[in-house]
Amino acid sequence: MTAPMSLTLFCLAAVVLLPLLASALSVLLGTAARRVMGVITSVTVLGLVTPILIQVTSGQTLELALGGFESPLGITLRADGLSALFLAMTAIVGAVVSCYAAARPAATGKRLVPAAEQRRRSHPADAGIGAEATAHREARSVVHADPSPVWRAGHAGFWPLWLGCWSGLNAVFVSGDLFNTYVGLELVGLTAVALVALGGRDAWPAALRYLFIAVLGSLLFLIGVALIYSVTGTLDIIASGEVIAELAASHDADLAAVVLALCLISLGLALKVALVPLHRWLIPAHSSAPSAVSPLLSALVIKAALFVLLRVWLWVAGPLPELVILAWVLAGMGAVAILVGSVMALRQSRLKPLIAYSTVAQAGYWFLLLPLLLDPETTALEGQTGTTLEDGAVLAGALGGTVALALGHGLAKASLFLAAGHLKDLYGTDEIDELRGAGRAHPMLVMSMGLSAVGLIGLPLSLGFTGKWLLATSAVAAGHYWILVVLVAGTLFSAAYLLKAVAPLLVMSEDDQTALTLPQAQTHPDDRALTGKAQLAPFVLGLLTVLTGFLGAWLTGVLEVGAPW
Amino acid sequence: MIGGVPWADLVLGIGLLASVLCTVLPGSRFAQSMGLLGLGVLTTLAWLRLGSVDVALAEAGIGGGILAALLVWVSVSSPAQPAPDAAAAPKWPWLRPVVGTLSAIALIVVAAAVWLRAEQSLPAWDAALTADMDLTGVEHEITGVLLVFRFYDTLLESAVLMLTGVAVLALGQGDVGSRAGLSAALSPQPAIPSSLHWLIRVTAPVLFLVGLWLLFAGSTDSGGAFQSGAVLCAVLILLRSAHVPLERLTVGWLRRALVAGVVVFILAALVHLDAPFSFPVLLAVEVLLTLGIAAGLYAIYLSLENPRSENPNLANPRSGNPVRRAAGS
Repeated sequence: MTAPMSLTLFCLAAVVLLPLLASALSVLLGTAARRVMGVITSVTVLGLVTPILIQVTSGQTLELALGGFESPLGITLRADGLSALFLAMTAIVGAVVSCYAAARPAATGKRLVPAAEQRRRSHPADAGIGAEATAHREARSVVHADPSPVWRAGHAGFWPLWLGCWSGLNAVFVSGDLFNTYVGLELVGLTAVALVALGGRDAWPAALRYLFIAVLGSLLFLIGVALIYSVTGTLDIIASGEVIAELAASHDADLAAVVLALCLISLGLALKVALVPLHRWLIPAHSSAPSAVSPLLSALVIKAALFVLLRVWLWVAGPLPELVILAWVLAGMGAVAILVGSVMALRQSRLKPLIAYSTVAQAGYWFLLLPLLLDPETTALEGQTGTTLEDGAVLAGALGGTVALALGHGLAKASLFLAAGHLKDLYGTDEIDELRGAGRAHPMLVMSMGLSAVGLIGLPLSLGFTGKWLLATSAVAAGHYWILVVLVAGTLFSAAYLLKAVAPLLVMSEDDQTALTLPQAQTHPDDRALTGKAQLAPFVLGLLTVLTGFLGAWLTGVLEVGAPW
Repeated sequence: MIGGVPWADLVLGIGLLASVLCTVLPGSRFAQSMGLLGLGVLTTLAWLRLGSVDVALAEAGIGGGILAALLVWVSVSSPAQPAPDAAAAPKWPWLRPVVGTLSAIALIVVAAAVWLRAEQSLPAWDAALTADMDLTGVEHEITGVLLVFRFYDTLLESAVLMLTGVAVLALGQGDVGSRAGLSAALSPQPAIPSSLHWLIRVTAPVLFLVGLWLLFAGSTDSGGAFQSGAVLCAVLILLRSAHVPLERLTVGWLRRALVAGVVVFILAALVHLDAPFSFPVLLAVEVLLTLGIAAGLYAIYLSLENPRSENPNLANPRSGNPVRRAAGS
């Protein structure tokens, strides 16, 4: 490469390497310095993603051959429309959650403090960091009684782990290489497990279970990648896709290895996305994680696996007719996920498990497009007058709809989990019955929950609505009317369970005769973090959920950049 | 080899299967750990037989050595811990093993059928690899691929190991500061027989040399940062068991060593995004990575002693009272 590297290409590598550098350096820093570093890094990543998004929007796929070695020998970083959109969503959610975690360190987990240190430091000046009344009560009861260490709120280990996780997410989104994608997924999975474990002793069983699932999923993915490599001789995503397309065109070639690889890869990634019936690990992991971690897990971590799934199905395997059974099985599981996840969400009495089941239900939507991919003929509309659809319109609509649903879910779920975690920290419980009427005391929190509910249900204007609309129209164009039924049922269900979650918080005392007795707020007098600006974070995300609904047309346009059709 | 039958390979294969059974079947943790130790040795031999010396070294160092040290520690400190769900006995206790075996058979048959039918194509990078080897400054092709052509993968992998170290440190006591998560490093070690003491003092310097040799041999022959880091970590574990005072070294340098390799690697990568590394940079990165890998593995080993300090009853697992922690509490 003789020409000097453009700034945008530098950004492409820097979105992975800079958060990782910050993660490594923050290990050596103190608590306050880690928070500053986290916020600075998140602003920097936002700044690095912007030129990538602008360049891709202008119609150019970015490619960087690392070290100057082109594939198949080297690794290529590649950013097309799909990458840019996921990068942008991750940057926005990541930055907002980072600011929230910096403003409310108590939301980052629980740490174990040696008793001696505890005695030295348990004066009010420390409360700004340590922060919550539960921890203070524990501290008081323990300090003089016995020398065993105690749990206190706030864990600065959040910062290196979260920045490492962010780096892994970006690595997955810009990877042009299958093995490199696997390494990125490992980075994401490992740090996500550790982030769950920051929730204290109670979260450890859930974290351990999550670890087994994450490793098993990665292993299945790796075996699939090895199979694809053995058939195509290359790990580059686009090059292997071309070889498979040639094999498929030559008719006499045996594609069994590719089909098996796709089965293994889809199974591994479905484990990581928590597609029903592989979803049981998600509920304890996402609901027992600290308040600042659950939004990251639900909004971003499972999206990495979804991203890879879309990449492999659309770019590597292409529309192989042999995959039709697998596509229908996965789409069937998706439809069941919407049903089972919603019913289970309706049966929950606590906020965080309810939201976790809602993630399980919403994940179902992202698999509905698979049968459309293999059957993108616009047969249903061809006989009618006035319908002229260009080639790839069904594919573009289906992918655009699915991506819009996934991105909308990312914004909305981050907001919902942040608000729910905030309420849980405030009142020490997330039992919906006990939180009745919380809307009066915390209008902004409950308002952001309402906004994100609008996005998750898919009411007009929100990104969720755009996604459902795009998916539905392309389903009709291809004659797959069953998708409409699933979408309508899913919408009704999600309205039901979100109403169950949000409505009790909005009850006023005049509405019914029962007196509203909120549990005593557990705010320490010195700690203003719980009532202060931190509440803005879920509100900003909730607002974005609704406002981004205007971007539907732009989003399909961006996805056309580097699209496989 | 007699009459075209590869007897050595057959024996090795049967031995591998037998050691897998030895790992899975016994009820006691100690026997399982020993089974896995044997499996590690046989796997190393199998890799050697396949001609992959690098993989064999890594398997011996990390899979056989460090993992065995961790497992033996766990099985000695808490030999008989009931499984979390042992109380709820399943209705049909035979169901799980049967379903597992059937699924495994189905998987193996399908995978083998596909594998044998598939037309495998050779890696497309063979020609490019030989053509570009002299750009790298190293002679061994595996080192070339790991550190030059696909350095980005190696970078992310070393980040995975670093963050594993960070994660296990974060689950210990304290969250920041040089002692956070390292309280176990300061606790006294149990007494060991004097003969073992003597043996460790003799072998540790030799092992240390082997570790360094593996590191520098990597540029021309099999070996490299991962294998060398595992051996150096083994040296640390042995020295700690032999009561060599490592506390100040650990508290002062473990964290720095853990992150230094990744930090330097990232800085080098940012400078060399579209040009190959030069040899001095490569060497510096590899040396620091080795230290980071040794530190990460050692942190994982130390973390095994971490949770016990949370509860005073668990403070001394070797005091004759077997440690029984309520599962999941």
